[in-house]
Amino acid sequence: MIAAQPLSDLLPPEALASVDSSPLFGGRPPEAIVRPASVEEVAALLSWASREGVGVLTMASGHRVAPVTREGRFVALRMDRLNAIEAYEAADLTITAGAGAPFSSVTRALGENDQWAPFDPADVAARSLGGLVAAGESGPLRMGYGELRNHVLGARVVTGDGRTLDLGGRVVKNVAGFDVLKAVVGSRGGLAAITSVCLRAFPRPEVDRVLVRTEPTVRAAAGLALAVGTAPVLPASCVVVDRLSERGERAALVVRLHGSRATVDEEQVRMERHVGVPFEVVGDVGTGADAASSESTRRLLEGVRDHVKSDGTVVVASVRPSRLPRLLEVVDRLGPLALSCDAYTGLVRVEADPERITELDLLRRDVIALDGAIRQERISSTAMRGSADPLSPHDDRRDASAAGRTALARRLETAFDPAGALWPART
Amino acid sequence: MTGPLPPRLERELRSVVGADHVITDPDRLMVYESDGLTAYRVAPRAVVLPASTEEVSEVVRLLHGADIEIVPRGAGTGLSGGALPTPDGVIVGTARMNKILSIDAADRLALVQPGVVNARLTEATRPHGLYYAPDPSSQSTCTLGGNVAENSGGPHCLKYGVTSRYVTGLTVVMAGGEVVRLGGAGHEASGELDLVGLFVGSEGCFGIATEIEVRLLPLTEGVRTLLGIFDTMEAAGHAVTSIIGSGLMPAAVEIIDKATIEAVEASIFAAGYPTDAGAALVIEFDGTEAGLDADADRAERCCLREGAREVRRASSETERAALWKGRKKAFGAMGRIAPDLLVQDATVPRTRLPEVLAEISRIGERYGLKIANVFHAGDGNLHPNLLFDRTDAEELARVEKASHEIMSLCVAVGGTITGEHGVGVDKRGYMGLVHDEVELDMLRRVRRVFDPGGLFNPGKVVPDAVDAGALPEVSEVAS
Repeated sequence: MIAAQPLSDLLPPEALASVDSSPLFGGRPPEAIVRPASVEEVAALLSWASREGVGVLTMASGHRVAPVTREGRFVALRMDRLNAIEAYEAADLTITAGAGAPFSSVTRALGENDQWAPFDPADVAARSLGGLVAAGESGPLRMGYGELRNHVLGARVVTGDGRTLDLGGRVVKNVAGFDVLKAVVGSRGGLAAITSVCLRAFPRPEVDRVLVRTEPTVRAAAGLALAVGTAPVLPASCVVVDRLSERGERAALVVRLHGSRATVDEEQVRMERHVGVPFEVVGDVGTGADAASSESTRRLLEGVRDHVKSDGTVVVASVRPSRLPRLLEVVDRLGPLALSCDAYTGLVRVEADPERITELDLLRRDVIALDGAIRQERISSTAMRGSADPLSPHDDRRDASAAGRTALARRLETAFDPAGALWPART
Repeated sequence: MTGPLPPRLERELRSVVGADHVITDPDRLMVYESDGLTAYRVAPRAVVLPASTEEVSEVVRLLHGADIEIVPRGAGTGLSGGALPTPDGVIVGTARMNKILSIDAADRLALVQPGVVNARLTEATRPHGLYYAPDPSSQSTCTLGGNVAENSGGPHCLKYGVTSRYVTGLTVVMAGGEVVRLGGAGHEASGELDLVGLFVGSEGCFGIATEIEVRLLPLTEGVRTLLGIFDTMEAAGHAVTSIIGSGLMPAAVEIIDKATIEAVEASIFAAGYPTDAGAALVIEFDGTEAGLDADADRAERCCLREGAREVRRASSETERAALWKGRKKAFGAMGRIAPDLLVQDATVPRTRLPEVLAEISRIGERYGLKIANVFHAGDGNLHPNLLFDRTDAEELARVEKASHEIMSLCVAVGGTITGEHGVGVDKRGYMGLVHDEVELDMLRRVRRVFDPGGLFNPGKVVPDAVDAGALPEVSEVAS
């Protein structure tokens, strides 16, 4: 039994949600779900958990929850009440919001000033700002805009033992001390609980042109994507999907070009000249596009973005982009599964069947042979009930320094969370 | 312990790197007494110049075994005293590690040693249609290793971002000599903590980067450069806000104030700026040719709307160089007005620039100091230059007080104490303005994660704890 009295002494009743309401934890619910409304309440909880030896599984919106495979008592920390847009300085292109703020509400606020946060990982519309930052996922738009981690200007976080830290700031250039914030972004709640985030915003491009080229196979589309990657232009993103529902059962390469209309027109010509084939202009989105074209194109983009369903088991693998054709060759062995591939970073997301452990294990071996990395991003609710984990959660390179790297990571986790109270959202 | 190295250790170091690459001669050591911040000078016990990861590892192992402090050093162009020697320590310089190990044009990556000069990488990758984006003002001499240590910026990082955006992997030598590979292209899916991001900007306190993998960008097709002439700094500051607020994304927006214009125009670097102007803005757009004129036209309209008396536009590379000349030669020109110059570095929210600049001017008047401003206005990164004569102790004291007020001012409006020069020794005393003791304690803990013994670059970045003994050692809490 949880020490209910002490926790309820620490936190107001409205910060303690009913446990019955959550089917999210793969059959092993937490002893309590805590929904704090202030950073002080988060600090009080973590301080208590460290003292009591209770694990804390941080959930931002609760949209993505890892299976609970660890033994021992735990509570869930849900950030959905920390959801305010705290400051939006449109002229400075910065926005600060609570970790539980839906990313869609941040996007909506920015949109009022023709600004946006150019991050498009799968399911971004359903995720919270804090969850996105904790996962550190940028999506394919990192090609044109850089990774999410470079645009998180600051964050307020609470360490595993309840210390509150303001990391970074609200300015775009800041080297006042070690860049601890970079380590927190993408740490999946393993270093600290993020309570608010200051993000750099960008002006919306006048035109967001979406170009599609269908090909008979994923490998053919990937080959074309590599050619785009060496063109004398830098697209906003370059994604391969195994099929585009609107276009039938064919693989497709989807390229986005951003800028003024004149720039985008010219870049399309240069790119097509470089790769030697024409693309279909699906449409333009953005301030300089007509509404009908924008709406249908936006739907297509959402389809591409969320093509690999998040309610299944998702495996992500990466290699250098030039090795993508070989990676896709080995992925083929898993059968005709939903797949998307970010050609800029060499990242492939594939909906996998967790029962086919042998194939996944072979895939891991091949990815490592290509000097790549592989991990399980999501596990289906069915598989969550079991304990099988066919893939190591960490990079499994057999290089000589793997042990040193792991030791550094462990020591860093200890510096932030001496008692090990935080249960990171990874298997 | 100060003084010469123990003879046996010196022999061992020479056997690792070659007899000629261990410097102990006091005359030759003088070169290493300071970095670009010459106000601080300390003679090191020795300088060791290894040529490979293996040599760095062995040198660090030997020094670590002898409990000798290690100060990593690149080209020594840093402006915060980050490479300032300690009297007990040895400098490990990366000057001989100057090879570009590979250029992978297909994946747009390069692997370099830390002693490669920043501008040389772009020269080497240009034939592949690629370049390295971060461009610190010292790019013709500063090295990639130093850029990694300082997370360097530059005029064009307004559009392209700073060093950390481009570093994808590192090989580092840790305390004790252990070699660890961090990150690397193709490992996006690893799910590991971002140790590369944490290492970049660690100012030599975590270890020595011996191989650096960086991302390259395709060369831009065209460029448009404008020079806006304004009667006041305030009007120029408003023009910056107007340009960025209009949705434009210039590659660079740099401001030069009246004092700097006067210094430049009176020097051999005269760039043709009107000497009665209150401020000048250098605005640059780059990218695909087709959209550049439209962008430049919009920026020009923003300037004129905010009261620019004139906007010049370069129509050739020669004219572009001329427009930039006043900006790039500003620091050299200031030597005419005063024998010494303290280049300050702070960042404020861009919209606060006009009021901050006015207040800096008042601070200068209050302390009887000439302060010239030339800086990266597009991202609010100020460089107030305090002119003085170091032989005048009383004036030096006023410089220190004025610096402190400027830093406090920048923090008070929501900014920070350094945008790109780093903390080093110069800003260590200001860290309390932006971090409370809990945060400083965390910085110390993170440092010990990488260097439990505290031998890498001691006395830099983080001020000592009031009671250092009260802090738990990472090794203790980890056990």
